[in-house]
Amino acid sequence: MADLLQEIEAQIAGAKTAVAKQNVGIIRELGDGVAKLEGLSDAMLNEMIDLGNGVTGLVLNLEETDVGVIILGDYTQLEEGGEGRTTGELLQVPVGKGLLGRVVNVLGQPVDGKGPIKSDITYPVEKIAPGIARRRSVDQPVQTGIMPIDAMIPIGRGQRELIIGDRATGKTTICIDTIINQARLNKAAETAGDKAYRPLYCIYVAIGQKQSTVARVIGVLEDAGAMPYTIILDSPASDSAANQYIAPYAGAAMGEWFMDNGMDALIVYDDLSKHAVAYRQVSLVLKRPSGREAYPGDVFYLHSRLLERAARVGEKYGNGSLTALPVIETQAGDVSAYIPTNVISITDGQIYLETDLFYQGVRPAINVGLSVSRVGSAAQLKAMKQVAGQLKGDLAQFRELAAFAQFGSDLDAKTLAQIDRGKRIMEIFKQPQYNPIPVEVQVAVIWAMQNGYLDQVPVERVKEFQTKFTEFLTTRKVDLLAKIEKEKAISDALTADLKTVADEFKQTWK
Amino acid sequence: MKINKQAKREAKQLFRFCLVNGLLDENRVRNVVQDVIAAGRRDCPAILSHFRRLVRLEIAGRTATVESAAPLPPDLQASIEAGLARRYGPGLSTAFAHRPALIGGMRIQVGSDVYDGSVRAGLAALEQSF
Repeated sequence: MADLLQEIEAQIAGAKTAVAKQNVGIIRELGDGVAKLEGLSDAMLNEMIDLGNGVTGLVLNLEETDVGVIILGDYTQLEEGGEGRTTGELLQVPVGKGLLGRVVNVLGQPVDGKGPIKSDITYPVEKIAPGIARRRSVDQPVQTGIMPIDAMIPIGRGQRELIIGDRATGKTTICIDTIINQARLNKAAETAGDKAYRPLYCIYVAIGQKQSTVARVIGVLEDAGAMPYTIILDSPASDSAANQYIAPYAGAAMGEWFMDNGMDALIVYDDLSKHAVAYRQVSLVLKRPSGREAYPGDVFYLHSRLLERAARVGEKYGNGSLTALPVIETQAGDVSAYIPTNVISITDGQIYLETDLFYQGVRPAINVGLSVSRVGSAAQLKAMKQVAGQLKGDLAQFRELAAFAQFGSDLDAKTLAQIDRGKRIMEIFKQPQYNPIPVEVQVAVIWAMQNGYLDQVPVERVKEFQTKFTEFLTTRKVDLLAKIEKEKAISDALTADLKTVADEFKQTWK
Repeated sequence: MKINKQAKREAKQLFRFCLVNGLLDENRVRNVVQDVIAAGRRDCPAILSHFRRLVRLEIAGRTATVESAAPLPPDLQASIEAGLARRYGPGLSTAFAHRPALIGGMRIQVGSDVYDGSVRAGLAALEQSF
């Protein structure tokens, strides 16, 4: 016992008490989730500030005598004259596989009532995008399960593909379908024990959405069994503008962890129009000079630095990827507005959705003429490239001829055949929501269409033909689908098999 | 009061004029205030308001406030003053205050730098860690 006392005494004698220097400031202005603090002479840009009462701030403005801070948390607990302290830390969020299946807020804290998140790794919210030395070209596909996209506007892993359109045109549905398809593919690979398949994990970032919309999305993903592969980062309309501003960066940090650790991830920013509005609000309250449409001057950089973080990195750096699907909502189809043009110029292509098509019953309402994928075709499955290579051209011709045909009825046989083919293509591209189609089925259906198996089918029965043909393939010709999936290209032997199967089906179909 | 950019710019110029070898010259400050008022400019209140703020922050940055739970003996006060002068350079004025709420220890503030070795701060940190 005496030894123990001596030991304690020795430790007390050896203990050094040091008083650490702190840098403090006084809150001079407070409102709308933004505070101005006087002092804080050592504050750094994007540094976290401890404002007391468990409230944290993030430095956005460094001025001559003031520091502009956005408040992450309940700013009603703060008051003028209160103290804020520098922490020397950048804003970090938890990352890792522990977040899969969870719904979290901007700071990575769970909001789904399923208990704490098991993750001891954090990543900074703001991070410089991978440089050119770290990157490699996009050559692996993201199968969305949406036929017109996989066939004509293919998306590659590491690509940034914008989804743009008016309200209620199916933008979110495309993203949800893509997430559901990834879950289906991941599950199938797990069941088959396919080690070569690289699972694609998904992050859905809801920015400024209605809580009911987010709840519906969560419900759909749960019903489809997609939640175990998905993280939902929720910053709803009721969140402060500061939180909405941070949300996509926090999501990107979560996605970067997968990329840095040799995995693939897909991130959906739904939507960046609301994000730009939130940033405008923060900037105006911080008294930053406003420019066009009252957006601050760095609104382009706001989105470019976010989307540049999507990349496919080289094998030396983990061989992972982060694919981004930003969403932009247009007003009355105006793609030439400020934010849409900015994001169009940043991304590697766009999927343009049209209200008119939507109400004509073309769903997904993709305008194939205005939609483009700038890098994805390199990642497209060879079999799909073989069967769908001409589709875009066929559809363009169809649109031109269909417009011309409205003026007269005397058309030659070739023109009529082209119009008929176009109508059938439009029909097979119609697809119900939350029902992604496996790529091998897509290839078989498009092959049948391109080889004239639908030419004798009345246009109004094309969808029925497609459904029955798909059913025939998935129930009785599973080996053929497996062969397409395995070979990934249409060889002569596979063409013969497809022909036999299509002939067999044609005989039974009435 | 709305202080426009021009007023801020002019106030800053005046403030710079009041610095001699990096230290604020009190006489110059007084002269500047008198001259600006005498000039009778319309934006005089805005300029002087910002000028006052700059002077206030400069004074705060050159003033050390030493608070302690118990009154400090003169020799300790002198050694603290010497230590602060070494760290922050000459021209630092030091004010000592007795603040029992600290329970024990000392708290020194120079501008926005705070060295808090008080018992109260230790207890607050302990509370937060729980």
